[in-house]
Amino acid sequence: MIPDARGLPRASPHPVSKRMHMSPSTTDPRSAKAVVELKGVVKRFASFTALRQMDLTIREGEFFTMLGASGCGKTTTLRLIAGFELPTEGQILIAGQDVSDVPAHLRPVHTVFQNYALFPHLSVLDNVAFPLKVHRVAKPERMERARAALDLVQMGNFADRRPSQLSGGQQQRVALARALVNEPRVLLLDEPLGALDLKLRKEMQAELKAMQRRLGITFIFVTHDQEEALTMSDRIALMKGGEIIQLDTPSGLYDRPASAYVADFIGETNMVPARILSSDAQGTMVEAMGGQLRVAGSFDQPAGTEVKLAFRPERVGEAVSETDNSVEGRLADIEFIGTDLRMTHHMADGSRIVLRRQNSGLAVPDLGEIRKLSFRPKDLRIFGL
Amino acid sequence: MTPHRAMPNWFVRRFVYGISGWVTLLSYLFMLLPIVVLLAFAFNAGKSTVVWTGFSLKWFEKVVTNRNIIQALQVSLIVAVASAALSTMIGAAAAVAITRRAFPGRDILSAALAAPLVLPEIVLSVALLVFMSFAGVTLGYTTMIIGHILISIPFATLIVRAAASSLDVRLENAAADLGANEWQTFYMVTLPQLMPSILTAFILSATLSFDNLVMSTFTSGVGTTTLPLRIYSMLKLGITPEINALGALMVLANVTILLLVMSRYLPLILKTNRR
Repeated sequence: MIPDARGLPRASPHPVSKRMHMSPSTTDPRSAKAVVELKGVVKRFASFTALRQMDLTIREGEFFTMLGASGCGKTTTLRLIAGFELPTEGQILIAGQDVSDVPAHLRPVHTVFQNYALFPHLSVLDNVAFPLKVHRVAKPERMERARAALDLVQMGNFADRRPSQLSGGQQQRVALARALVNEPRVLLLDEPLGALDLKLRKEMQAELKAMQRRLGITFIFVTHDQEEALTMSDRIALMKGGEIIQLDTPSGLYDRPASAYVADFIGETNMVPARILSSDAQGTMVEAMGGQLRVAGSFDQPAGTEVKLAFRPERVGEAVSETDNSVEGRLADIEFIGTDLRMTHHMADGSRIVLRRQNSGLAVPDLGEIRKLSFRPKDLRIFGL
Repeated sequence: MTPHRAMPNWFVRRFVYGISGWVTLLSYLFMLLPIVVLLAFAFNAGKSTVVWTGFSLKWFEKVVTNRNIIQALQVSLIVAVASAALSTMIGAAAAVAITRRAFPGRDILSAALAAPLVLPEIVLSVALLVFMSFAGVTLGYTTMIIGHILISIPFATLIVRAAASSLDVRLENAAADLGANEWQTFYMVTLPQLMPSILTAFILSATLSFDNLVMSTFTSGVGTTTLPLRIYSMLKLGITPEINALGALMVLANVTILLLVMSRYLPLILKTNRR
């Protein structure tokens, strides 16, 4: 059941509606069953391989994001799930059913398109009623449910307008209402916020997330904006070159990047050259930035191996007492960005690292000052070259 | 000095921009003047189409009471509506098929549909006449409607095709995504968007048929004399203001239809004028 009084009506002939009566709070995405599964899916276009060997399980009720630069295969994956493309190899299952050969219009998924794809010849209300009309829902019920869906996205007052008379953000809401009105099992969102300005995008992010929680529908979201992915998702699949290179929660992706590429793609990262000195079960000692540092965890390469040491700018400590795991650097530049200060340091080995700290109003050190920078062993990560 | 010296600005402003407007205006005047004269003499009281003798509506009265003319008008309307309807239907179907689907022989079909555009109408007409008499079909409505379809189908196809190829495929994707099957997608999404061009194709086809003389000459039978054929045979007996009056009525009808169609597009056309 939808906790909101303005929500979609409960009586629905659609078989999926039963699921909507479940309170979303009881659906722990971790234990919930799979709703979309890709098994060994390969997609080739003529000579170009868009997806190579994709195995993916998306769970009931989660906000799942596919993140990556353009051309990484995220949109192809979405189109395969929607049914606009058929896989070259492998299987796609939706709600346990093999839909590999099922055409788009028979799949229980709806899409919010990047360009919204509203029908220009229909009013806003008729656009939203469209999925119900093709499923032959009787007119009074159709109109009632379309209005309810429009109210859900706060577009009730625009029912009689044409799509061309709406702003981008408003069209976006209508497209969302149209995709939700038939209570799909899975909602696919193809960079839906890409065309909106920053402020509106932030608003819509929060609203989409809240709506997903409230309705308990599985959202599969495609974006190239890592910040958007981090703020909204339960889990993120980071893609590159037609493959998933890491699938994790936002904090997992940020704090435990599996490779240098992930560390670099997600958030800001300092990446400096380092050399392994020793490694055992207690931790690894490396030589980097003109000093020696302890890194948590073992690294199975012999001493002397050249590696990359990565750490986040906000995890660099300035208080010497906190730990003795520190190196010295000269403060070269301070960048003021409102809430934060970014301090660039030149290290003894010539590398530059950025330290980020809150603009707390405390005294700012002078440029050129030699400062001790400290690191907690678990904030440092080692990647092979 | 370079041979391609730029023209001075005042020259461009004065003559090129200034004159082009006047040239257009004068050519239109030259083309429209005969029609103005024709319209004026429709109201002449006398029997002459050159000497003005006074104002009268009697020629109009003669036209609307002339049984031959009324019958010819009826024939023309039947043929125009029937041939335009069929030609628009076939043309729209072909246009959608050509732009939406890849099938063997698509390019051949597309060329065949445009062929009547470049073939001389008289050749087409003679060929059809020979074919019909060979097949043993009596000349009449059927032969004339087929002939007129042949004339108007390239235009109908081209108009609908232009609209169909500029349709957004993503909208059809969206319809399928929302659960519409191919037929529902066609009549709920594709067809409504093509409707303006289909209407335009219909009106153009009907006009082409209504004005047609050559094809009608070869394909009309006994009792299926169209209005242009009737006017042509009246001319053989000498020009009277009755023809002027008939012409005036036809101009009036055409302009009315044109304005009805234009009222839909006029705001758009005016918008593109200002730059």
